[in-house]
Amino acid sequence: MLKTPGWHLLIVWYFFLGGIAGGAYFTAAIADNFGSSRDRSVVRTGYILSLLMIGVCGMLLILDLGTPSRFLNMMMHFKFWDPMSIGAWMLGVFGLFAFVSSALSLSPDERRAALRRRVSLVGIIFGFFLASYTGVLLSATALPFWSDARLMGALFLASGASTGMAAISLLLYLSGDSAGEGFKKVKRADRFAIVFEMAVLVLFLVLLGSAAAPLTSGHLAPLFWGGLVVLGLVIPLLVDVLGARWVPAVIPALLVLVGGFILRYVVVMTHA
Amino acid sequence: MARTLAMFTDTSLCIGCRACQVACKQWNELPMEEPQWTGSYQNQAHFTDKTYRLVRFIEKPQPNGELQWLLMSDVCKHCAQAGCLQACPTGAIYRTEYGTVNINQDVCNGCRYCVSSCPFGVVAFNHDTGRANKCTFCNDRIHNGLGPACAKTCPTESIQFGFRDELAAKAEKRVAKLKEMGYTGAQLYGVDSNGPLGGLNAFFLLLDKPSTYNLPEKPLLPQRNVLVDSVLSVGAALLVGVTAVVAFRERGGKGAGDA
Amino acid sequence: MTTNLIDIQNSDVIMATSNFAENHPVGFQWVMKAKERGAKFIHVDPRFTRTSAVADIHVPLRSGTNIAFFGGLISYAIQNNLYFKDYVVHYTNAPFLIDPAFKTATDGGGLFTGLEQTGKGGVDPHVAETYKRDSWKYQLDGEGNPKRDLTLRDPNCVFQLMKRHYSRYTPEMVERVCGIPKEKFVQVAKLYCENSGREKTGTITYALNLTQHTNGVQNIRALCMLQILLGNIGRPGGGVVALRGHANVQGATDLELLYHELPGYLPMPLRDLHPDLKTYLEKVTPKGGFWVNLPKFMVSLMKAFYGDAATAENDYGYQWLPKRASADAYSHQHIFVDMYKGSIKGFLADGQNPAVGGPNAKLARAAMGKLDWLVVKDIFLTETAEFWKAPGIAAKDIKTEVFFLPAAPAAEKDGSLTNTMRLIQWHEKAVNPPGDVTSDAEFFVSLGKRLQKLYAGSKKERDKGFLAASFEYGDNPKEPNMELVLKEVNGFATQEITDKDGKVVYKKGQALNTFAHMTDDGKTAGGCWIYTGVTVEGPDGKLINKANLRKPADDKDYLAHGWGFAWPANRRILYNRASADLEGKPWSEKKKLIWWDKEAAGQEPEKKGKWVGLDVPDFNAFLAPDAKNGDKPFIMRADLVGAFFGPLNDGPFPEHYEPVESPTKNLLSKQQMNPVAKIWTVPDQKNDLAPVGSPDYPYVITTYRLTEHHLSGVMSRYLPMLAELFHSHFAEISHELAGELGIANGERVTVLTPRGKIHVTAMVTHRLKPFMIDGKKTHQIGVPWHWGYNGISKGDITNDLSATVGDPTVYIQETKAFLCNVKKGEV
Repeated sequence: MLKTPGWHLLIVWYFFLGGIAGGAYFTAAIADNFGSSRDRSVVRTGYILSLLMIGVCGMLLILDLGTPSRFLNMMMHFKFWDPMSIGAWMLGVFGLFAFVSSALSLSPDERRAALRRRVSLVGIIFGFFLASYTGVLLSATALPFWSDARLMGALFLASGASTGMAAISLLLYLSGDSAGEGFKKVKRADRFAIVFEMAVLVLFLVLLGSAAAPLTSGHLAPLFWGGLVVLGLVIPLLVDVLGARWVPAVIPALLVLVGGFILRYVVVMTHA
Repeated sequence: MARTLAMFTDTSLCIGCRACQVACKQWNELPMEEPQWTGSYQNQAHFTDKTYRLVRFIEKPQPNGELQWLLMSDVCKHCAQAGCLQACPTGAIYRTEYGTVNINQDVCNGCRYCVSSCPFGVVAFNHDTGRANKCTFCNDRIHNGLGPACAKTCPTESIQFGFRDELAAKAEKRVAKLKEMGYTGAQLYGVDSNGPLGGLNAFFLLLDKPSTYNLPEKPLLPQRNVLVDSVLSVGAALLVGVTAVVAFRERGGKGAGDA
Repeated sequence: MTTNLIDIQNSDVIMATSNFAENHPVGFQWVMKAKERGAKFIHVDPRFTRTSAVADIHVPLRSGTNIAFFGGLISYAIQNNLYFKDYVVHYTNAPFLIDPAFKTATDGGGLFTGLEQTGKGGVDPHVAETYKRDSWKYQLDGEGNPKRDLTLRDPNCVFQLMKRHYSRYTPEMVERVCGIPKEKFVQVAKLYCENSGREKTGTITYALNLTQHTNGVQNIRALCMLQILLGNIGRPGGGVVALRGHANVQGATDLELLYHELPGYLPMPLRDLHPDLKTYLEKVTPKGGFWVNLPKFMVSLMKAFYGDAATAENDYGYQWLPKRASADAYSHQHIFVDMYKGSIKGFLADGQNPAVGGPNAKLARAAMGKLDWLVVKDIFLTETAEFWKAPGIAAKDIKTEVFFLPAAPAAEKDGSLTNTMRLIQWHEKAVNPPGDVTSDAEFFVSLGKRLQKLYAGSKKERDKGFLAASFEYGDNPKEPNMELVLKEVNGFATQEITDKDGKVVYKKGQALNTFAHMTDDGKTAGGCWIYTGVTVEGPDGKLINKANLRKPADDKDYLAHGWGFAWPANRRILYNRASADLEGKPWSEKKKLIWWDKEAAGQEPEKKGKWVGLDVPDFNAFLAPDAKNGDKPFIMRADLVGAFFGPLNDGPFPEHYEPVESPTKNLLSKQQMNPVAKIWTVPDQKNDLAPVGSPDYPYVITTYRLTEHHLSGVMSRYLPMLAELFHSHFAEISHELAGELGIANGERVTVLTPRGKIHVTAMVTHRLKPFMIDGKKTHQIGVPWHWGYNGISKGDITNDLSATVGDPTVYIQETKAFLCNVKKGEV
């Protein structure tokens, strides 16, 4: 007797790209603050990728509204207990951070770099927020499965990290930078992130119990198991761990991205 | 703050005539919809963006061979703790000084978060206007000294309108009387201000348990888990942050500072 | 209804035999109020409806068995001594002695004495044409008064005859015939009878559930008999609640938009039986009771019709009145059979939709195809207005010239509506009708004047009346002043009237205050005597329209005499003299209504005493209880008492006969159906009937109305907010029958009768259950009849299923009980 909100592909893409934006930024920020100058490509790619994604995300959100011309109405209030309200604000704030960090990453000036590193440490918070808040938004509704999933935000965050890293590595590969140190490091980070994501997913399903049925045994189950679990997590990890050098490095990255998209898809479309 | 207003729907007096449905449509100038086949006289399975008052028909054969036909005029509950209101990011959903919950059609941008946040599935998205809407508790009428159109039209006074405290007292008396008359299933739904959702400002007297009417036995505020879920996300963030640091860290000292 | 909706709250027990809550939801609030006060509410209906949902007991009975049920109750009350003896002995004809030659149906094998077996009528070879009523009369004493046995023991007294007649109607028989389990019947009988009587009163409601049968009139008689047996008539919380239709069926019958009566329930003259006014008045005026005043009402009526042209010399225009060629003609069903046979050339349907709303609607539509011309005046293009578009009609074969005149609905015109409690309420025009839309008054006034112009040069005697009729109602030729029309209905003085002292009682043209002032000498005119009093002249000479008064009820006046005007004379509860005993004291303080106050100022200064109380006395207010006839409450009957023995075309006592189409043989007697029921023979097999217990049509079908739709749907299916309330036209089918036929809820099905078939959606429900009739499982289905091929919500026409058969007294159709078959799918 409950009603579904009619969020479909526009929102699935928003969740997915928002996760990449947050994950890419945080990866860039970590690389910026804890990595070396050889990781500069990761840093710059990450910040700029996140800025681009945020721009697209904004447009997706506006287009999904019933009355898009009124998107600014969300800026009239700030309700910190309401995921959608903070989400609207944080998108903007995070965008600012991404812009500043991106701009500063284009400059070779060392003073700029120091500022950028400090700024991005703060920006990480907003990055994480963007990647995870959409999960909390779903779990704060009245709809079953969504409202039962205490770890939805955590899962989206983990996926945001892995897809953000995969996206960076994909871009580096495409720009011919895959031989560099940065590439190796981001691949390593992605490996850790995939393991973490798998752990969170297991805990997510265990806590849900029978409420996980829409995912694990409904009509979306083949996509969930085949698309996310096998293609999106197990195979990329195996390829990486087994060091299968005959597989082009881009393949695992693509699979992780596809898996990330499928995760958002099956979750959102459960209540299409 | 004015005294809280309420609607008390006493289903023991309902004759299922649907005058309330029609009066609501007429007052709110809502258009006709394609009726659904529900297997009974009920013409929509549930509330829509064009049906704010909906009469439900439930046949319940009794063990003694007799039949009970439960008739109930359902409506937005105007919860004291409203999931839709909490969810709305634009502030379009607000509570009037009378305690009723309204969606400002000039502000709503149609994000539909409220639609998914109602424990009763009341709020609906209107594809024609691009906004969400629901029962307004006849907001214009109550601000002009009148009661809701449904209450005014109800021929048996099954829908009563007034101050919440007075109606609640009346409802308590009524359910006691019904129990005395042998209606063992008679119970109130949403009267208790200490109960679920802080009480409903459109509360009911039911003749059977709530689930018979497709109402949640104990409706919960969807936003009750926001804190927990947020803390868990923060935890995840910290953990994944650590793994990333480990992945990028230069051996033998901080990496910052390299040109 | 004899009583008042508001008064229902005073009942101790209410038995609704009709679907009260669904069809009179606003009036139903008083049943809820009665329940709040502890009243028990019984609902008797083949279906479990929204009325049953709020009833204490639901009594399912097979459609068409109402007399078996009421007879069972009458028998139960008599056998268990639960009747109100004092009331029965003094206020009814129970003690009157009947001619010993008369025998009841118990001794007559289902027939009363005097049936002329002509074998000419209808399907049943035993159906006769008429009863000779020679033995259906009282034994008279030397003075010509009926002989009485106040002990009620004489075997020829009405009471004993009634007891003998209903001796067959045992609880066991009720179970076999009606399908009501014996225990439930006894429970209900006990409940109803024990809550009626001196200290408690019960009310019974009915509507078309009783009228639309070939036993229609007798169904109602049975109910009335039960009520006077229990002493419920004329008392608070009692009465017979006839629930008339919305909005103005009562007004329509009061002003006689009917074929057999003139306004105010005066008989419409028969050409051969009533050749002149004197003969007419002699034959139709009874020797006793208030109807002795009939001549005054008749003359006043003709003065209202013909004005100054009606004089004593020309019998007040009696010759100009249309007369009936036969009593067995002109009803709705008669008309359509004649129309089909080609003897009717033109037809005006004003606010009527016979293509959908009358019985055997297929016949009606085919009949209209035989007309030369048809005029339809209605608020929408109804199915009748476009009858040639009906499925199955080839439009090119129809030669009828059809005119459509748009009509103004109630909100676009002034006028009155008379509701089921005889309450006349005025409504004022809210908006002007658009464009060429006209009200009925405008139309008929305009038509009348044009016809007068057309016939202006005529020298024929028969045209003089029409030319003399006045269609002048105010200064605006386009818009008649409806309050002036109401004043004419009310009645007025045609010349100055003075009393015996020469004092002017009425100025010329002044509205009459009461029908008691009507005369038969032409000094008064009155369009409908029962309405007199609705308009009166105020002290300033201005007309007061009492129908427009809106003073609500209060503690002193719970019957709200200041709201509207109830005929007659604003009496809200009829026969209220019966609420007091022979001394004029209420039978019970708890049930007081009017009483004799011997100290009150009387009509003359030296005579004291008046009836006072909570209602206007339905009695001569100054007639003392111990005066002659001061103890006879039923003033409209010639013998002034309530009638158990009441001769009608089909008998003086109601007897159960099966409907014309029935699943079973009659278990109460050898006589299967009403011996004088009217069954029309229609060419081209347009009125075929299913034989008794037909295997091709094994299920009982009843047709009915829903709250949300109105009659043939013109006022509901054309309006979006009402059209959307039901998904589609449906039939209600029990789970048991659906299981047998393999039908799921929501599937399309076909319902068939020998007259036609319809496709509807099956609503499979627990609210219908099969009946055990004489031990045999008998299914019944229900189908509402609101749908047609026009409007927003469309559907097949249920009345294509019903037949052209009628009650022998009023020829009403039998749409409440006939036979059908049901097939899965759209066959």
